[in-house]
Amino acid sequence: MRFLKRFLSRLFNSATRRANDERLREEIEEHIALQTAENLRAGLSGVEARRQAMLKFGGVEAMKEDYRAERGLLFIENLLWDLRNAGRSISRMPGLAAVIIVSLAIGIGVNTTIFSWIQMILFEPMPAVRGAANFLLIEPRTETGGYPGASWLEYRDLQTQVPALRDIVAFQTVAFNVGETGRTERTHGQLVSGNYFSALGLKPAIGRLIRPEEAERTGTEPVVVISYDYWQTRFRGAPEAVGQKLHVNERDLIVIGVAPRDFQGTMVPLKFELWVPATMTPALLGGTRDLEDRSTRAFSLIGMLEPGATREEAQAQFSTAMAQFARDYPEASAGIGGEILTFWKAPRGPQRLLISGLAILQGVMLLLLLAVCGNTANLMLARGSTRQREMAVRVALGAGRWRIVSLVLTENMLLALLGAGLGAAMAVWGTTALRVAPMIGAFPILFPTRVDELTLAFAILLGAACGLIFSAAPVVHLIRLGPQDGLRSNSNTPPRSRARKALMGVEVGLAMVVLIAAALFLQSFRSARQTDPRFRPEGVLLAAYDLSGRNPDEASEREFAARLLERLRTLPDVEAGAIATNVPLDLHGIPARSFTVQGRVRTEPGQDRAISNTVTPGYFKVMAIPLLEGNDFAEMGDRAAPAQAIVNEEFVRRYLNGADAIGRRIQTRGGSFAIIGVARNSAYDAFDEPAQPAVYLSYRDRPADQGEIHLRTRTGNETALTSEARAVLRDLDPMLPLYDVRTFSQHIERNLYLRRIPARMFAVLGPLLLGLAAIGIYAVVSYAVARRTREIGVRLAFGATSARVVLQIIRENLGVIGWGAATGWVLALVISVRAITKGAIDLPIFIGVPAILLSAATLACWIPARRASRIDPMAALRHE
Amino acid sequence: MKQKTDVLQGTLALMVLKTLDVLGPLHGYGIARRIEQISGDLLAVNQGTLYPVLLKLEQEGAIASEWGASENNRRARFYRLTREGRKQLQVETQDWEQTAAIIGRFFEAKAEDLS
Repeated sequence: MRFLKRFLSRLFNSATRRANDERLREEIEEHIALQTAENLRAGLSGVEARRQAMLKFGGVEAMKEDYRAERGLLFIENLLWDLRNAGRSISRMPGLAAVIIVSLAIGIGVNTTIFSWIQMILFEPMPAVRGAANFLLIEPRTETGGYPGASWLEYRDLQTQVPALRDIVAFQTVAFNVGETGRTERTHGQLVSGNYFSALGLKPAIGRLIRPEEAERTGTEPVVVISYDYWQTRFRGAPEAVGQKLHVNERDLIVIGVAPRDFQGTMVPLKFELWVPATMTPALLGGTRDLEDRSTRAFSLIGMLEPGATREEAQAQFSTAMAQFARDYPEASAGIGGEILTFWKAPRGPQRLLISGLAILQGVMLLLLLAVCGNTANLMLARGSTRQREMAVRVALGAGRWRIVSLVLTENMLLALLGAGLGAAMAVWGTTALRVAPMIGAFPILFPTRVDELTLAFAILLGAACGLIFSAAPVVHLIRLGPQDGLRSNSNTPPRSRARKALMGVEVGLAMVVLIAAALFLQSFRSARQTDPRFRPEGVLLAAYDLSGRNPDEASEREFAARLLERLRTLPDVEAGAIATNVPLDLHGIPARSFTVQGRVRTEPGQDRAISNTVTPGYFKVMAIPLLEGNDFAEMGDRAAPAQAIVNEEFVRRYLNGADAIGRRIQTRGGSFAIIGVARNSAYDAFDEPAQPAVYLSYRDRPADQGEIHLRTRTGNETALTSEARAVLRDLDPMLPLYDVRTFSQHIERNLYLRRIPARMFAVLGPLLLGLAAIGIYAVVSYAVARRTREIGVRLAFGATSARVVLQIIRENLGVIGWGAATGWVLALVISVRAITKGAIDLPIFIGVPAILLSAATLACWIPARRASRIDPMAALRHE
Repeated sequence: MKQKTDVLQGTLALMVLKTLDVLGPLHGYGIARRIEQISGDLLAVNQGTLYPVLLKLEQEGAIASEWGASENNRRARFYRLTREGRKQLQVETQDWEQTAAIIGRFFEAKAEDLS
């Protein structure tokens, strides 16, 4: 209590320092006046009386110091004083401060942006859901390591059989056709279990959310919850939206409420607009058996641990349940176990894609920040040395060593935190700029990243860490400083700072690693765009249709595709048209199929696999993939021809040892196919992939309810085909939307999006880092040279040519730089060979980057060296 | 160094409190004079050290101060004991007497007493 009282009054005193000083002065004066009067009474002379009084009082200044220490908070006062001093000292070096702050800001900003993404995945995998990171994924797992999802009946059983988990939630993602005849629009939604919203703890923005009892009986509750954005854009945020009908997959659903503002579903970063009770599945998806069939594993499950339960318990119960299913329903569940996983370990889906990339990116960027710190340390060290005299004067005047250190620390911390502040601002900008990704593949994506307290704390922590790191060297230097050193050294022997040179070496090494990483990354990105995919994407329009809402049978699917193609091919601008189930170079990849091929006996265990795409005749013409042998598929209407397959060169090479393929049979789970042709290899999953074996099956034999229309234009302007294609589809079926219309080039660009973000970062950061390294070297060398003016003057006076002097300075510094660069180079080489390119060495990069870096370093040495060599020897000798 | 000041301050503070308790409100010089008279040489060297102690006591609330007129009719700061200060004085007096008694007994103790 007493302590608190004192603290408060001290705080107050700190603020009212001036008034208090005045009071003390007055008290002292009065004291001395009274003592003088006393002394006069005792018979001393006037002057002597006052002198004795002063002597008796003691050292006024020392007492004042004590008094002040007693009165205010010395710590805070010193801090404020240091801050003021730091501010002044920073404003005296605007150029240097700007370089430091901006470079730190960029380093911290980039790291913070990446951190906000990682943070989203780790801590807030579902926006608007509190404690979302506590949800666990409940994933059935096949013996071969696949994650097929869970069936509805399995979900119902698991709810009771895994008591360690409460509120298990099931959902599946669907693309709905929403709207009136002829104006339907494809909208993504989730079919959810009744406890979906209650388990996630969500409150509606308006209206109400789906209740548990609404997903009990099949097909009875035609209700839908819409997303906040959907409400805003389609209903203009009107409260009357609740109770209105929404025409979804030709059924009327009643809007019962709006989900909370930021909620975008349970599969971030995918963004959903509609939520419908899972029991509506048969009604909306044309009588599928999703709800009755145990082998239809359409649902994903998540759940939270019951209080007190452990993950091990849940895992054990889950495994027991899955083993029981395997015994009871062998045809649907044999060989399927299960895993309970934390959210960020998602084994499938979009999250999987993000996590690994982000971790690498963060690592590289932290390395970059470290290099920036090294650079800053060097600049501060160089500057600190020029201030040696100032510091020595402070020490000589009685400043404690720690006061000096705190002075320097405050200055550096101020710089670091200014950098962190600017960096955080950049991160705010960065996350907003990167939030909205274009449609990737079939689904809309929104990264719900934002900069919150944790992100800011991360930025500040990074800033403080940087401050400490780059303060370390100057502080160590200062602690060793004696009071006379600084005063002497200037005119005497120049101290050769080993620390500075070592730092310069380290910095160059780090710069080398990061620059090579950046170059490799850019290279792979560029090669990804420049490599010939071995088909011709230019002039091709893509569009998708989806019949799944009708639950059509094979015959009608085939019929529909045939009629659609026929109509499309009659369009005057269409040179060729085809339908396929998959489009190459898709972010999600093309599925592979296992098979056995006639004439091959597999010796090792496992199955032969090949990329598999189902296409209509004409596909190879649209894609401009030549058929090397045999013919195209039989026409769609041909009922006589047997089931057909076309394989690619790699397939023939790998599985048939180059033997004649035509006429052989391929056996898959879906049937037996005769090989009728061999197509040239082309890119399937990525531009720069090694050749993959592929099997094309015919749409005629294996029709599907979804199709990607491929149209090659005659005129070269493929976008012009869009409206005509729409019209054709509307004619054929007014309720069916044509969605995801894009040119093939757009399709490729979109799918490179995730790769493009880091590529852009590197493209900006690479040159920046190079510049920073050069500035760092320049600072160190020019400082060292300035300290040696006299020596250089002597040399010149004795007849050394200026070229010689320049050469010598460059040689001295390049030695250290060379060591750093070589170490970094080896490190980068090891990382590259072992982790990135797996053996191959990209020679142009491993020669080019060091060449550029060393040229920049030489230039940075040369400029100050040349300046030094031009001085007049006489002036140099008179220096100091 | 610091410890020595603390000890000095501690005893000085007690003396200040006692002086104010006995004599009533006084200005700094008065307190210094009184302590000097009673304690002999203790404060003879540095009267100034009194002021930080006065400030500390005031911040703790043991004494209060206000402006008044001194003997030679000039503005002076007068310090007086507060109720809290009186309580503190009592407690510390007891403590001090107790400590003094114990230390005293120790000094009187002979080798055979301790064995």
